[in-house]
Amino acid sequence: MFGSAGRDAAKVEIDARRGGLGVLLAFLAPALIIYAGFTIYPVLRTFYNAFHAIKPQGVVEFVGFGNFTALLLADPVFWKAVTNTALFTLVATIVDVVGGLLLALCLFARAPLAPLLRVIWFTPVLMSYVVVGILWVWIFDYDWGLANASLRWLGLGALEQSWLGQPSTALWSVLFAHEWKWLGFNMIVFLAALHALPAEVLGAAELDNCGWLAKLIYIIAPMLRTTIVNLMVLSFIGKMMVFDLIWVMTGGGPLWSTETVSTYVYKRAFEWNTFDLGYPSAIAVLWFVIILAFVAIVTRALRQRDRLEF
Amino acid sequence: MHAFSTMRSLAAASLIVCPALLGTLPAVHAQDVTLEVWSHEADEPAKVAFRELAARSLERAHSGVKVKITWYEKNPLFAALKTALPAGKGPDVFYLEPDQVEYISAGYIIPLDDLVNWNNIEPWARKVWTHNGKTYGIPQEAYTVELYYNRDLLKKLGVALPANAQFTQAQFLDLVKKARAAGMTPISQGVGDRPYPGAYLTVEALLRKLGPDDYQKLFTGKLSFADPRVVEVLQWVKEVVDAGAYPKNFMTLKLGESHYYFYTKPGALLLPMGSFYTGRAFVPEDKGGQPPDFPLGIMQFPAMDRGACNECKTSTIGASFAINAASKQKQLAAEFLNAMSTPQMGKMWIETVYLQTGIKADVKSFSGPHAAYFTELMERQKGEKYFIGQPRDMVTGECKDTFAQVLNSGFPGGLLSVDQAVGMMNKACYKG
Repeated sequence: MFGSAGRDAAKVEIDARRGGLGVLLAFLAPALIIYAGFTIYPVLRTFYNAFHAIKPQGVVEFVGFGNFTALLLADPVFWKAVTNTALFTLVATIVDVVGGLLLALCLFARAPLAPLLRVIWFTPVLMSYVVVGILWVWIFDYDWGLANASLRWLGLGALEQSWLGQPSTALWSVLFAHEWKWLGFNMIVFLAALHALPAEVLGAAELDNCGWLAKLIYIIAPMLRTTIVNLMVLSFIGKMMVFDLIWVMTGGGPLWSTETVSTYVYKRAFEWNTFDLGYPSAIAVLWFVIILAFVAIVTRALRQRDRLEF
Repeated sequence: MHAFSTMRSLAAASLIVCPALLGTLPAVHAQDVTLEVWSHEADEPAKVAFRELAARSLERAHSGVKVKITWYEKNPLFAALKTALPAGKGPDVFYLEPDQVEYISAGYIIPLDDLVNWNNIEPWARKVWTHNGKTYGIPQEAYTVELYYNRDLLKKLGVALPANAQFTQAQFLDLVKKARAAGMTPISQGVGDRPYPGAYLTVEALLRKLGPDDYQKLFTGKLSFADPRVVEVLQWVKEVVDAGAYPKNFMTLKLGESHYYFYTKPGALLLPMGSFYTGRAFVPEDKGGQPPDFPLGIMQFPAMDRGACNECKTSTIGASFAINAASKQKQLAAEFLNAMSTPQMGKMWIETVYLQTGIKADVKSFSGPHAAYFTELMERQKGEKYFIGQPRDMVTGECKDTFAQVLNSGFPGGLLSVDQAVGMMNKACYKG
């Protein structure tokens, strides 16, 4: 019906790669506008705010590094929040990665009831942090919570306590709730990575009478290195920004014992009877730089220099 | 050819995108006006009904006007306002409380002196919202801080309420000890979701001990927490706390849960609470309200030894409404405020919300299932001297945060000694 010239013309019409700048812009613009409006602008604005004091009646005053100096030198709550966040991040990252790997190995080794365990361990990942937080506040309740009820049932009533009401136990209790929710995610990622390992390498190890621990340390772990590094970095970033679980479970209390940098930023921005976003922006910027630096260091330190071939 | 195809593609994209965008916009007629209102208290049906009634009333009075109320919980509402207002956006009218003076200093709300009919508002209530001679909010909800108790449990302990309904501080401490010894929770209270209820006992004791002037000085940084009278009060509160006054789950118990704890399960002798208690308690039992036959009583907070004002009581304004300075329909917004503030609406507030109000209302006698409660509440107001405002209305920034962490939770939670509490409060609040 069409000659070859006609077919070529039709091809040009429908080939998006030859559409030219106008067409590209028309299709990219919505996404770019949304990205610029909801990501780029807020980030740039936060950096701008960090160097200013935002005063009533729209007055914005340049303060240079004043906000940073104040928070670094004269804000004990900020340092308390930094300490708590660092502790939470360090412990949670290690438990996330090691715990996730152990659960995955358990399923990979086809433990009894493995399909059921996979569902049970992964289900909390599908729940929102708000739901998990409310659930665990109830579990940790002194009077009618499951934690203390279990201790009483086991005859360990002397150990019962207000898990979220004591500065010495509150952060650890929140951490426990976090692990309950998040371990399943790392488990699934590790399980996928384990299934992707070459069967002949594992088979050869078994033929050489390699024990399970040696196989884990010398065969499996090195081959999972990329997955481990990626999960560590992701886990690290997530924990450094932890907010929702803490907010729901303790609100940063008691006596700032679970205050994290993110909850403190929120409080300074929205609960201090001020519209000055300069100081909280300074905290956010400083924390962004610290996270960026740590991620760069961790990634560089754990980068694989010699690519494994299998 | 290339340019032509590009134009055709853009035109085609426009044909797809534009109707889609236009389709999302409502048809706008010249006479149609929508008044946007953002309100807290989505979970209190009587207040929702009250404000919706005022909205429908305004709509009937002005054809073409629609009042759209968006219902929020408190924290999300204020987070939304704090981002919308600096951007010149936000609703025409919004819920606000008197401690939020930053909205005034930032110029985000306008003076209402010439816009609102102040003849319908109690002068003392207006005063709460008056700053530098201008009034910025219309006070709707008023409440006093009360000490509710379970009559049956008090009788069970063999204790009789004095004629003036006020125990001495020693009698009160003894009552707490007796209740604990009898296996009761003496005071139902929790700080799981609010920065103030844990401090009720302490601040009411401070008000009675210091009197209004020094009490105000204390929370405005002009009086040290190391003042011997303040220390005496804190030592007494510490004794009450150490006697096991509060539930073991004090730190995580939420405000609504503390009501349920008091009147249903497991039950407690006392509940210090604003008189907005009724908003949660006087709803059907299956919705978390108190049992219909619950023996509710109201007593005064204990008298302090050598107290400067043992007849003092905290009264304050809660729910209020303000007009956005960026609103393009300020007059209409003011008419909505007036519609909520007529004497008839004031009467309706008292009869349906069972709570005091800043609106002038001529209610001579009370009827209905909770008439006895309201009569007793009024009885407890006789001869009282009111201090208008709460500490959280007076403190800001670091002092406000420390108040929430120390006087609201850490100290009544038994985590701090008197010296530690004094030191932390002074560091954050005292400017002397």
